Amino acid sequence: MTVDACCAVGVEREYSLTAEGLVREMDGADVELAVVSSPDRCLAVSNREGNELVLAAARSFPDRLLPSCSANPWYGQGAREELRRAFEHGARMLVVAPSLQGFSLSDELLDPLLLEAASARAPVYVHTGAPQGATPFEVALRALRHPELDWIMGHCGATDFWNDAPQAARLAPNIYLESSLARPFIFRSHCLAVGFERGVMGSGAPLSSLRFEWAEMRTTLADLPARGPAGLEGVLGGTLLGLLRKGDAR
Amino acid sequence: MKSYAGWDCHTHWGIVWKERDGVDPTTWLAVLDSHGLRHALVLPHEGLQTQEAILRDNDAVREVCARSGGRMIPAFTCHPAQRGEAVREVRRCAAPGVPAALKFHPWLQGFSLADPAFVPIVEAAEELGLPVIFHDGTPTYSLPEQVIGLAIRHPRARFVLGHAGLLWNWRAALLAATVENVWVTLCGPHLAAFRELGRRIRPERLLWGSDFGFGFADPIGYRLGLLREAGFGEALLERILDLNPKELFRAPTAGGAA
Repeated sequence: MTVDACCAVGVEREYSLTAEGLVREMDGADVELAVVSSPDRCLAVSNREGNELVLAAARSFPDRLLPSCSANPWYGQGAREELRRAFEHGARMLVVAPSLQGFSLSDELLDPLLLEAASARAPVYVHTGAPQGATPFEVALRALRHPELDWIMGHCGATDFWNDAPQAARLAPNIYLESSLARPFIFRSHCLAVGFERGVMGSGAPLSSLRFEWAEMRTTLADLPARGPAGLEGVLGGTLLGLLRKGDAR
Repeated sequence: MKSYAGWDCHTHWGIVWKERDGVDPTTWLAVLDSHGLRHALVLPHEGLQTQEAILRDNDAVREVCARSGGRMIPAFTCHPAQRGEAVREVRRCAAPGVPAALKFHPWLQGFSLADPAFVPIVEAAEELGLPVIFHDGTPTYSLPEQVIGLAIRHPRARFVLGHAGLLWNWRAALLAATVENVWVTLCGPHLAAFRELGRRIRPERLLWGSDFGFGFADPIGYRLGLLREAGFGEALLERILDLNPKELFRAPTAGGAA
């Protein structure tokens, strides 16, 4: 099954994408499922609005869209309650964007939100690459401190922390490398270093084109075996689906 | 999409290429050919990483470009810590009548654009008509605002943001629209940023690049694909891929600005 790990719906300064529009894009690219998150503004401040937007999109296309959720840790107990509510309504992944949300991934401010993710058995997706508070080794140190959680290193530290990504991922087995914005040729080299079974495909739509990114990735990984966790089956969806399904047991 | 010569304005004569091919551009140019590109601005690599390698890397870049039949335009580097020697190196590299540029990667090379020792280098570039290209998008020394601040202090020199702020600082590259003497290379930001930069930066100030040559991987197809996906009209594509680089990197007159 093909799964896109990084898509957003909603209206942002540079884009506007509805759930219907996203599913059309997926149809055109032969992508079966996508994890959706909310636009930047809703990651930063209007968390409830963003989570509701994403949950509604997933309700409209329950067989195609998987909702994530987010809350800014600066909202304290309110953020924790918002996450608990979103997970109860079906959210499958916690998304944190330290640069956008104004905290460092190393800051204990995040700890209460991680308890909610652990309780929901949901993976934690971190937008990495911005130089302050969202770098690969910050993910690695978090992953070591929280072995009970699966950590998805969004964008593999792109751009200028690309060197760090494989070394950081090697520190903890519960880190997975996500490809959006990382460029397929760089993502491939990371996977060669840490194992394709830890690679997760994401398009970054609508910041990039879902159709274009999937076509480029399929070309870049054309020599991988079709089956298995280290093959196309794993990188293009199976690995991520395995992480998301851990929450089914809760 | 083209009836004009395509320019890639951000490539490197990378360490691995130099180790394997010496100063023979044949294989490197074949990659350019496979994407229908005619010209490239060729930046150094080893000289950006090691001060001791600057002179020999500049020589290698000059030589490989000289063997390209005019297709590869060299960009040289130096280091402000080398003071007078750095300015002498700029003058040594700039041959009258030969198109060229300077390239700096301040966070990698480890110097601040506010360092007074950088001023004579910029003044030499201005005098010799050499555009000055920067890695940009990353603190501590390579933010777009730092380059644009330099451009304001040196209004007669020409500067290029080599990465348009990359993924996380591309909005700062929009500030290039506020000054005359800064060009912006679409090489690093995502597709949505390409579109916004294409809408808000003057067409005459846009370039495109792939970062090809750092290693053996070929990023040109992907990055050219992003440019195509941006949906720019043919006139703007011709500006970005041909007219602007042709104008910016034309040969300086003997001993003076282009």
